[in-house]
Amino acid sequence: MKTVGLVTLEEKNEIQTLFERRNGLNELAKILTPDNEALYQKLVKDMGETGTKFQKWWDSMATKYQWEGSENGHWEINFETCEIFLIDNN
Amino acid sequence: MIKNNDSSWQSNIAKTITFIVTKDCQLACKYCYLVGKNTKERMSWDVAKQAIDYILDNEYDENFNHDSVIFDFIGGEPFLEIELIDQICDYIKSELYRRNHHWFNSYRFSFSTNGINYHEEKVQRFIEKNITHLSIGITIDGTQQKHDLNRIWKGDGPERGSYDDVVRNIPLWLSQFPGGATKVTISSADIPYIKESVLHLYSLGIHEVNINCVFEDVWEEGDDKKFEEQLMELADAIIDNDLYKDYACSFYTEHMGKPMDCKLENNNWCGAGQMLAIDAAGNFYPCTRFAQYSLRDKKAWIIGNIHSGIDKNKLRPFLTLDRCTQSTQECIDCEVASGCAWCQGENYDAADTPTIYQRATAICKMHKARVRANNYYWNKLYRKLELEGEEKPAEKTFNLNC
Amino acid sequence: MLKYLVIQLADDAVSYCHYENVTKGGQFISTENLKAAIRFGMVENLNIQFVYPKRALPVGYAEIIETIDHTKILPCDASVVYDSHIVVFNGVTEIENYKLSKEQIAILRIGRNEIDELPRIFNALNGKCARVNVVITDIDKFTDSEFDSYKATLTQLGNTVKANILAGDNTQLNLLTDRLVLKAMNNCNAGDETVTLMPNGKFYPCAGFYYDNAEEDFGDLTRGLQIKNRQLFKLDYAPICRHCDSYHCRRCAWLNRKTTLEVNTPSHEQCVVAHLERNESGRILQYIKDDFEYNTEVNIPQISYLDPFEEHKKW
Repeated sequence: MKTVGLVTLEEKNEIQTLFERRNGLNELAKILTPDNEALYQKLVKDMGETGTKFQKWWDSMATKYQWEGSENGHWEINFETCEIFLIDNN
Repeated sequence: MIKNNDSSWQSNIAKTITFIVTKDCQLACKYCYLVGKNTKERMSWDVAKQAIDYILDNEYDENFNHDSVIFDFIGGEPFLEIELIDQICDYIKSELYRRNHHWFNSYRFSFSTNGINYHEEKVQRFIEKNITHLSIGITIDGTQQKHDLNRIWKGDGPERGSYDDVVRNIPLWLSQFPGGATKVTISSADIPYIKESVLHLYSLGIHEVNINCVFEDVWEEGDDKKFEEQLMELADAIIDNDLYKDYACSFYTEHMGKPMDCKLENNNWCGAGQMLAIDAAGNFYPCTRFAQYSLRDKKAWIIGNIHSGIDKNKLRPFLTLDRCTQSTQECIDCEVASGCAWCQGENYDAADTPTIYQRATAICKMHKARVRANNYYWNKLYRKLELEGEEKPAEKTFNLNC
Repeated sequence: MLKYLVIQLADDAVSYCHYENVTKGGQFISTENLKAAIRFGMVENLNIQFVYPKRALPVGYAEIIETIDHTKILPCDASVVYDSHIVVFNGVTEIENYKLSKEQIAILRIGRNEIDELPRIFNALNGKCARVNVVITDIDKFTDSEFDSYKATLTQLGNTVKANILAGDNTQLNLLTDRLVLKAMNNCNAGDETVTLMPNGKFYPCAGFYYDNAEEDFGDLTRGLQIKNRQLFKLDYAPICRHCDSYHCRRCAWLNRKTTLEVNTPSHEQCVVAHLERNESGRILQYIKDDFEYNTEVNIPQISYLDPFEEHKKW
């Protein structure tokens, strides 16, 4: 694990909210059934949109800050310090 | 992609809402403050639902407009009511989403459990279903000897400790919550076992030990000296074996034991009144410690109920309570005041009149002993780091709620 | 410091404040306790107030009472007429049918439903008694719309007070004229400056505490005064009140405990009512300062809140 950058508090808050929402939607999906049609449709759409926003955040931040990356690695953020880490997947 | 420490999740900005789902427990711990435990008062689904509806209906009220929320479940032993809890959590999730409530993006379900039925299928199914929103602490008091001294099974017949029934679930718990912290409570008889107990918990893989002395007036002559010696021996063990690098014990806190200013440092220690607790009858309390089953000598402090809502007048004393107004002159003048804790519920229960404005001071000599040992710990650690040319470790923060 | 001793001559002595008299058997104070209470007041150098019931006192009591300088508080329908200092009226009808003397103080206990009558009643009493003390007995039940109508009533009362000042008349009205002369808190101070002795021979902060729970006494005539947590009755230990300048507020410890469960914490309703009165006093003060070049150190600044609790995060 290697520290490769830092984001602002506002940027951290943005991804933390998306992270929480994505987790919430995933766990809601475990209990919501298609017979609750309106809510189910809303959930399916929301999961797609939130996932897209989530990935977009990482893409735009990576472009903005030019973090060091690696082929077999991924980035993580520490919500308490706003630090970005490069994690080796191997 | 995300890293977070869940043990202190959103501390200070989250509203804590506690469901007292049952007043029953498998154990009869000797130091337990719950004097009114029983098998009858179990929360019904109807009461739980009405409570949730009331809370969510009042999203923008000053009592519920916090950025985040922690739904806390306690007992007795909360996991005795896992089916009800499961139903409550499912309802909360779907209602938060259906209402577009701002808490959908920031909620947790929190549990303090004795760990006995942690492995059971119903409990595990619940954990699997809600894993990213859970904070679960298992209480284990240390070595078998120390644990079994207090944490014994309920019932007649010979005393039976619960250590074996809890420790078997620790590996499972840590595999699900690697940062899991445990809470240790110290009473007079536990003092000789503090050092070995904390080290034992570390050896089980628990990296964070939140530990505190009971606030009740249980201390005997000489306890402070014995306590101080135990903490100093523990300090030696932690520092000499480099355990401070990966493990934490809440006894040692860098910035404590200093005089305090009545203007600049006048906040109340306890969060009672900022929280909301709900019992089986649908009554609201400023904290669970103000429910009748927690009180020895005083009447329950009810601040409303699921039908009529919160009576805000009954919260005013909590929200305007400061450190100095409730403290004795001795506490105000104390040279080592910072870090000295109190429990508002115990203050109320022990007070000469029915008030939260009389600070109980039974813990005084234990706090002073802790301060001396704490000074020893940091002096020793800094000297070691200095000699080894290392930097000071960042101080860890602790969840020291009662 | 203790200054006043209130001696309730019977269990059913008239209520002169917020609490309701819940008669418990109609017991008179014994002559032994009465004498001991007077002795206590004398040795502690306290001002003594006797509170009377409607019924006549038993034979011999009057002579004992007259052994000490004192103030009498009587119900308006007392069976024996004294040259009393303070007369208590329950409701508008009682005061309308009574002839007060210029030296007397009237305590008018009314509910919210009679507040609209106050301007008319005060006009009628104007110049006919020394002072009118209005006690709103159900102050804890005020709603937001009732606050609005109370504010309008106070404006009407304020006009009468201004006219009085213009006419050189000085009948006081606790709701509005007290604050005009106060530079610091001047409250009931039960439990701190005042204690009440009930017919059972025990002390209480005031009779209201006795009617709530007679077991929670502050000592008795044998053991002496034993006021636990006495500091909580003092202004310095009242987190909201010590930041407040509604100096005339009754700051009723009994009402505090009834509504917030703490003797040192007022309810929202008590604070708002006191601030509506304070603000009207402020307008009167500004009027006399502007139009009469009245020179005073008293100041009632404009503030943006009606309940000081709203400011507590700034303290």
